[in-house]
Amino acid sequence: MSDFEPKIIAFLCTWCAYVAADTAGIARYKQKPNVRVIRVLCSGMVDPNYVLKAFASGADAVLVGGCHPGDCHYISGNIKAMRRAPLLRKLLEEMGVENGRFRLEWIAASDAPQYAEIINQMSEEVRSLGPFSPSTIK
Amino acid sequence: MKNMTFEPLRWQEDPVRITVFHDTEYLQAYFQVSAPRDIEWICKGRPVEELPRILTILSPPHHLASAMALDRLFEVEPPPLAVNMREALLQAHVFRHHLRKLYFLLSSWQNPFLDYKTRESRGEQHMVPSHILDKIMHHVSLSQETAAILGGRCDHPLSAVAGGVSRFLKEDHYHRLSEIAESCLKFGMRLGKFLRDEIFGDGKALDGFQNLQIEPMASLALAEKDDNVVLRDPVEKEMDRFSPDMIFEKIGLHKELWTHEPFAYVKGQSKDEIKNIFNSQFFFVGPLARLNSGEELGSPLAEEERQRLIEALGPFPHFGVVAAYWSLLVELLQAAEKMTELYAEEKLTGPDIRTIPSEMGREGYGALESPQGLIYHHYQTDERGIVEDIEVLDTATENNALHCLLTQKAVEVSMAQGKTREEMKNLIEMSLLPF
Amino acid sequence: MGTNPVPNKKLAIFTATGCRACENAILDIHYQVSSLARCADIAFWPYMLGSEVRDLEKQESIDVCFFAGAIRTSSDREAALKLREKSRIMVACGACAAFGGMPGLVNISQWSVVSGQSQRTMDNKQQTNEEEKPELPPLESRVLGLPQIVKVDYLVPGCPPTQNFLWAAIQSLVCNGQSPARLSFAASRLPEAIAQAITSGILPPKGSIFAGEKAVCASCSRVKEEKRFETYKRPYQAYEELGRCLLEQGLVCQGITTQEGCGGLCTAMGQPCRGCFGKAEAIFDPGAKMVSAISSTFDSNDAQEIAALVDDIVDLVGTFYRYTLPTQCALFSTPSKD
Repeated sequence: MSDFEPKIIAFLCTWCAYVAADTAGIARYKQKPNVRVIRVLCSGMVDPNYVLKAFASGADAVLVGGCHPGDCHYISGNIKAMRRAPLLRKLLEEMGVENGRFRLEWIAASDAPQYAEIINQMSEEVRSLGPFSPSTIK
Repeated sequence: MKNMTFEPLRWQEDPVRITVFHDTEYLQAYFQVSAPRDIEWICKGRPVEELPRILTILSPPHHLASAMALDRLFEVEPPPLAVNMREALLQAHVFRHHLRKLYFLLSSWQNPFLDYKTRESRGEQHMVPSHILDKIMHHVSLSQETAAILGGRCDHPLSAVAGGVSRFLKEDHYHRLSEIAESCLKFGMRLGKFLRDEIFGDGKALDGFQNLQIEPMASLALAEKDDNVVLRDPVEKEMDRFSPDMIFEKIGLHKELWTHEPFAYVKGQSKDEIKNIFNSQFFFVGPLARLNSGEELGSPLAEEERQRLIEALGPFPHFGVVAAYWSLLVELLQAAEKMTELYAEEKLTGPDIRTIPSEMGREGYGALESPQGLIYHHYQTDERGIVEDIEVLDTATENNALHCLLTQKAVEVSMAQGKTREEMKNLIEMSLLPF
Repeated sequence: MGTNPVPNKKLAIFTATGCRACENAILDIHYQVSSLARCADIAFWPYMLGSEVRDLEKQESIDVCFFAGAIRTSSDREAALKLREKSRIMVACGACAAFGGMPGLVNISQWSVVSGQSQRTMDNKQQTNEEEKPELPPLESRVLGLPQIVKVDYLVPGCPPTQNFLWAAIQSLVCNGQSPARLSFAASRLPEAIAQAITSGILPPKGSIFAGEKAVCASCSRVKEEKRFETYKRPYQAYEELGRCLLEQGLVCQGITTQEGCGGLCTAMGQPCRGCFGKAEAIFDPGAKMVSAISSTFDSNDAQEIAALVDDIVDLVGTFYRYTLPTQCALFSTPSKD
């Protein structure tokens, strides 16, 4: 498993987490290269379907990054994401997707170091979990 | 050694294959159920209150047995209206089930889907007039209508829930129900006359079945009075009487590699020595097993029919195919009578439809006489009501040994009489049908 | 009397692994089945006629095959392949054939519940004598729906299929051109696109589903109030049997993700929908859609309260994918043959 490079799909809110990711890059924070970023208008628009589709299409983990509660550009989009996440996590767990493979994080635009840390931490965790493929759940 | 297979068989609910090994000395027929039901795997991990809707895939009465198990699990008493509605639904299914089997019997000599004209031009033997078949099917559909009114759907009903039923009947349904019950009863009597005159009576139609019977066998049925399970030995003397939840202490299951259906047997002194599956520890269930108790029936018309059966075939117990068909008719009349009695507005109205459980239970069981025989459910759950363990005793398991024995018998008879493959298949199918 | 200019269509009806409810549903129209005999020859129907799969060799071809039941054993697979080969039109009839159905739940239990037989009452001693024993067809490694092993032309979903749509499917696929009155009857029960095809005398587009166009909610008689709830209920607990939307009362009801066609049968009986018609067309994954539907009704902004609510909701996979696990669950399904 040493040469396994996890693929993490990150749905990042354009108003906060995406900015943090951008800043983290510009500031040359050390980051694992396992993340594929998808920029979305709000974490509230990340439908559970997107997450399932990501897993079904070969992602090893999914990260949803949104603004801290109260900071949403659209007032309550991130609250929607917050309501959804626990139930989605439960569904995924029942299907054999380990807890560490799906994360919802609040990342403000100024949180670039935290963003890099989350990415690094998640990469390592998923690396130790091993590759995810639906066919392993038999 | 030669080898014959028949697959599939007509009218069998499970996918069935018959394999026959034979040479001059040896003849062994196997009744194989060729796909697993997987009930245990489907149900484990589900919330227990969903089981009535899941287990109904076995047969509609399993829906009711499951609801009874839930009543016990949640420790609730369903209100009288709900009890009546469930019973009414059960009787509709008994009527439908028995009538369908009689339809299969009557249409067994001809392709029921051939056009009248084609049928007549072929001049098939043992013709049962088409209008009788149509009338039967009409009443099957009427009983399906009642089942749909009471259960939401005919197959896979959904109305029974923990502590009662899920909704009141609509007003316009009462009238319809009693109308149907009346028509079913009238038709049952006419059908009885037809069957006695044309089929059971002169015996020509059931030629070849007159002597087809199994060795006397124990039977298992639910006592109507105290809801205890009664086990009767082959001469139908009461051997044991116990509460349904003891069933798996008295009845064991035996698995063979060549069939997916386990064999139910009476646990006894010699339970460790199942050398030969065709021995005396087996029992059967169903209409004939119920009538084999020899007890009088409460419904007058059914009792009358039972007396006619005794007159013609001798006193109970019976183990023959003809008696089994006849017992379908007796129970059909009984169901029709119960339907007329139950489908009255005052029985199906009341203030409550269900008792709401106050807390989650851990264990429950339910037993019921389904049209095909005694069925039993037992569930165990965790503290959140998720099914951890489930045991379902289905009639297919209970009658598995009977099916094997009957198949063997039918094959032996046909071999001895030098029948063709087609005739042999027909004989097997028709002997298995009424049980 | 004139002779029939169009030769009768040949019809096959078969159940793989499942119950007999789909076939019963076809028999359910029986008092019209005798009239069905005027436009169709039933060439293959094991349950009613005792036809054997090997008899299919003798058939030149079959016009329409109604295939019910899930694929569980190798004989199911063989029968499906053979029937596909012989049939011009293959119809997956019922939830088991169309989506894998309830037997499909076996696919998750193999890893999540137990492996191996565990019936404690089962006495597993095998016979020791050396008589020749017959064999059983091997089991497939997982339960599959019909579209996963052969190309399927039409679906008639439902568990069991409702009489209306089944009859409409038979009318339009088997009896086409025979009786305008019957066709308009069939058309009245179908979505517009299929209905138009039928009335203009052509077959509906391949892949059509004989069901409604929207979600079950569209035909459900219950009242929606856009209310949120603070506690989640399970169906054994108290709720209003009639009247308000079940989801808004805090019950998991899948009407919102499920294809219409049953007419809201279960919800009218006071029971929540469990999705036997499969997912509605626009939905990617029914489980994910249910997650967003349920969570949108949570009335809380507090993570802990939400966690408590979620905690009360049990067995998501077994409920959301009750009838559709093998074909419609994004993570478990294998692609269909097209």
